[in-house]
Amino acid sequence: MAHKKIFLDYNRCIGCKACEVACEMTHGEARIKIFEFPDLFTVPFNCRHCEKAPCLNVCPTGALFRDEDGAVAFNPLSCIGCLMCAVACPFGIPKLDEENKIMDKCDLCADRREEGLLPACVSACPTEALKYGDINEVLWNREGKVVANLKGSAEKGEGEEEAYIIL
Amino acid sequence: MEEKLIPVVCPWCSVGCRFYAVSVNGYIRRVEFDYDHPTITNRGKLCPKGVASYQFINSPQRLKKPLKRVGEKGEGKFEEISWEEAYGIITERIKEIKETYGPEAIAFLSSEKITLEENYLIHKLSKAIGTNHLDFPGRYCQYSNSPARTAVFGSSAATNPFEDLAKAEMIVVWGHNPAETAPVLFGQYIEKAIIDNGVEMIVVDPRSTRGHKYASLHLKPYPGTDLAVALAMLNVVINEEIYDKEFVQEKTTGFDKLRESVKDYTPEWAEKISGVSADDIRKAAGLIAGKRTAFLVNEGVNQHINGFNLSLAIADLIAITGNIGKEGVWSGVFPGAQCGFCSAMTGIAPNKLPTGKLVTDEASRAELERLWGFPIPDWVGFDLTTMIREMGNKIRMMYMVAGNIAKSAPNSGWVREQLRKLDFLVVQDIFLTDTAMYADIVLPAAAWFEKTGTAISAERRVQRSYKAAEAPGEAKPDWLIIVELAKELDFGEFFKYSHPDEILREINSVIPVFKGATPEYLAEHLEGCFFPCSEPGEGTKILFKKGFKTADGKAHLQPVEWREPPEIPDSEYPFWLTNFRLVGHWHTLTMSGESPSLEKRWPEEYLMVNPKDARTLGIKTDDLVKVSTRRGSILVRAEVTNHVREGVIAIPNHWDNNFLTLDEIHEKTKMAELKAVAAKVEKVEE
Repeated sequence: MAHKKIFLDYNRCIGCKACEVACEMTHGEARIKIFEFPDLFTVPFNCRHCEKAPCLNVCPTGALFRDEDGAVAFNPLSCIGCLMCAVACPFGIPKLDEENKIMDKCDLCADRREEGLLPACVSACPTEALKYGDINEVLWNREGKVVANLKGSAEKGEGEEEAYIIL
Repeated sequence: MEEKLIPVVCPWCSVGCRFYAVSVNGYIRRVEFDYDHPTITNRGKLCPKGVASYQFINSPQRLKKPLKRVGEKGEGKFEEISWEEAYGIITERIKEIKETYGPEAIAFLSSEKITLEENYLIHKLSKAIGTNHLDFPGRYCQYSNSPARTAVFGSSAATNPFEDLAKAEMIVVWGHNPAETAPVLFGQYIEKAIIDNGVEMIVVDPRSTRGHKYASLHLKPYPGTDLAVALAMLNVVINEEIYDKEFVQEKTTGFDKLRESVKDYTPEWAEKISGVSADDIRKAAGLIAGKRTAFLVNEGVNQHINGFNLSLAIADLIAITGNIGKEGVWSGVFPGAQCGFCSAMTGIAPNKLPTGKLVTDEASRAELERLWGFPIPDWVGFDLTTMIREMGNKIRMMYMVAGNIAKSAPNSGWVREQLRKLDFLVVQDIFLTDTAMYADIVLPAAAWFEKTGTAISAERRVQRSYKAAEAPGEAKPDWLIIVELAKELDFGEFFKYSHPDEILREINSVIPVFKGATPEYLAEHLEGCFFPCSEPGEGTKILFKKGFKTADGKAHLQPVEWREPPEIPDSEYPFWLTNFRLVGHWHTLTMSGESPSLEKRWPEEYLMVNPKDARTLGIKTDDLVKVSTRRGSILVRAEVTNHVREGVIAIPNHWDNNFLTLDEIHEKTKMAELKAVAAKVEKVEE
């Protein structure tokens, strides 16, 4: 089955933090974060749900598992809070939930997906900087758009100023 | 417990987003996105305020019982009383003040934060009591652009639906930052137009923001001087004869007078005043004249004493470039709140009737007297700033609903002194606001999700929002409080309402543009209707296709001249001070300050200062600084940044900004100077 992911189309991000707030309202803590840079650039970032997820490989209790949509999901009842997933993750995604003494990470809103809903951050994102779906389908669409833009630019001819941002 | 999905309209800005409040046993458990109705404005999307929008209603700080002041005004000491006692005191004082000073000593303040039905009832009660002193805080919002567009086009409302932005060739964003103040509008319409359709964007703003990064041209005038830029654009478009000649000939009057009025305002002249290069002004004017252009203007244009002239100039520019009355353009007022139009369209103003006609128009008054059954006063009342100025003098009592003028009106220190001078103040609100601290009686109101009512968005969508939660304690919906108080005042026969639907049906029959917006139609069509909706199912998506709302159907071009801002930086107060909004907060923080997910992300105000100015002042990011104007001073942390131009400093307007602004008003529009004042900055040693 095709793996579904959240693709970060960060050029569309305006740093409004709707994703953070939506995540926080769903999970108690925000598992996605907007990183802000001084030049007005903002990047939303969440778990990459890696295809070869190091966290999943090192989890000693099997608390982390791959669910049927391809998300690196998480069973809190099996977690012992050993931090091995955090050690292995190249991004620093899994965080310690100090209160419950277990790890906490994005599960692409398993509960919402079960009801046929989009992950909360994707549902909210007003600019569609967060796109959820079969990842290769998302990427083919993106490729198509970039090519269409290239064609548009070529038709504008030499010397004319570029009117829009190429993704 | 069963979860119920209650369809609601978002309670913050005027984009008009819909979602579901997930209600369990009278409480809202969470928000669910509405992806079920493809024709709603927001297409399911929400901004951070929308997502967090039920948090404030559950705040422990909510008012739950009527309060009577027992301490000094402003001190915050109150005791809880019963509704019966509260109504008794208010009725007695109203009668007493009417007998001693006449009804013209009583003023009402309605609100852009309550429903259409509630605005209508407040208007009706004020007229029943016999006063035309009626206004709402929107006086400080669109009251430059609104009268200017009315003068030119005969109507100020948005010309097109938001979807038309995608069909434009150019979007001008002037004194507006929709990426922060209306993120769903920005993301679903503006950004898509730019990234997906190749639409160009010109920004006019002294600051750079995240939304502006998509602009192909950014003009950065000093605050309050963009009037010079607009005049020079008119000058260029007319002199270079790049205006729409056919449109000007057929659809406008007054072109010669306009040409005469702007003939000396060259781009070089404007450069000296505004700091925007003459070349950029020429370039922008050429682009606007040559492309199908949408204009998104807001408080950076409105909130100046010369904002009326600026709005006239922009309206003239829209007209002579033919960018109105067709598909693929957009211009109009952009109310700050979800219900700004609810106040404006029920005639909440000192000179209006709910039918939109003037109080001085005898025939219109007589018609309303026949509908309402009681006499209507014929004199023009005071605007909000004049009400404040006359407190303790001509105005002895005020009844304020859902407005926090101790923070939102200009020169907060002065406003608070004036509030102390009232003989009697009633504040009806959901929290004990800074303004309520000065009240004699505070009435606890139900919040937005705790009642059914109608909202109207910036694109003129009339939509219904339904009750999803029970109000806390003894709090009641604003409409019910007005109905009950009216009964105590012996006006019961005119206020026989037991549900907002009954009020809306009366509005359907009294206000022609809402005739078709019936409770039944809106219940079946959650996406609403675009007013004027004269019959159920008949809305008006694009205005002015067949001419303008003026007597002769033509756009009346207005001659316009330069007007200096009331305060200009000098050696003592060397900076232009302006202000802006944050995406996570709303107006005076009454609601967003009680929303934990917003408060923690946007915790405090700060001062934007350019690195060159910061070097001169010897300040670094996070230093504590004192910002002063001739009215007052506030302490804030500095943020040294290139995103504000040299000579300009800027702070968010949600906290104490208005201790610094100026209460001088425009003689006609009564707009105050809320966006450009002279200020100084000093480092505070800690």
